[in-house]
Amino acid sequence: MASISTAFEAHQIMSEKNTLIAFTGHFDHLLTTLLLLNIKNKLSALEATTGIDRKVYSILVESIENVSKHSSQGDQTQNIAILLLSKSDDKYTIVTGNHIMNDEIPALKEKLEKVLQHNQAELKQLYREQILSKRTDDNNAGLGIIDMAIKSGNMIQYEFKPLTEDTSFYLLQIEINIQKPVLSEVEV
Amino acid sequence: MESLIIEGTEDSPSVKFDVNSGQFVISGKSRPENTSKFFTPLINWITEFYETTPAQKDQPDDKSAIVFVFKLDYFNSVSAKYILDIIFALQGFVSKGNKIAIEWHCAKLDDDMLETGKEFSNMVNLKFDFIQH
Repeated sequence: MASISTAFEAHQIMSEKNTLIAFTGHFDHLLTTLLLLNIKNKLSALEATTGIDRKVYSILVESIENVSKHSSQGDQTQNIAILLLSKSDDKYTIVTGNHIMNDEIPALKEKLEKVLQHNQAELKQLYREQILSKRTDDNNAGLGIIDMAIKSGNMIQYEFKPLTEDTSFYLLQIEINIQKPVLSEVEV
Repeated sequence: MESLIIEGTEDSPSVKFDVNSGQFVISGKSRPENTSKFFTPLINWITEFYETTPAQKDQPDDKSAIVFVFKLDYFNSVSAKYILDIIFALQGFVSKGNKIAIEWHCAKLDDDMLETGKEFSNMVNLKFDFIQH
């Protein structure tokens, strides 16, 4: 249960990790819109000179939408997602986490691995194939993760932590360098 | 045909397809809750517009009759598919013998947005004018 000491502990951890945003709960569309508005203002104030705020924002939107897609599934009281955004001197880190059914893991893992093994040029080719492919009910069909990989320079990690016999917690971490090394590769 | 005007919101773009000036502008942010519901009428409108507009090649004027302006601050990957559909619709307009100028606006430091514009331009084989602010 929450108490003054756990709240203080959570606050201390967040401060130590230079957390800009920490949110846990359900990510519905309205909440996401409000959260993003707040983050956008915060980021543009921080990165007025580098312009990296747009990159961070855009990756953040994809990662939150990725979570909210899963958030609407299953038992709502059990399905609590998390979003963390932190900033160090040289990079931003976005971590999202959400519940996932264990039987969804193999397909998701395959999709992620397919993206992670590619270099920038291959990712762009993959993006092209994906955006030109027929739309499915799944709508996003993997374009979001490819987009995040391109924009972050493929600094993506993931993990599945077992929760129950049927469910796991799916964690996705994306790092964004403030020095923008990705851009030089894009130019080539 | 009537102009198409849609007010922008915090999650959906503003649309001003002005048939009188020939300037079609889509601007703002795009991550609508229902992407298909937002974009399908736009794509249908463009298709209907060029189906009902006489082909420009039959007219003496050499100017681009239509200027299409993409001035999007941000769009999510679901919207990207539909934006590309708009560009495909414009390609249809061009292949009917019409001239069209396509402007892709983005912030000076927004290399991702610039890069996406270049990708889209290559995919449909239409020239874009890139304007960074």
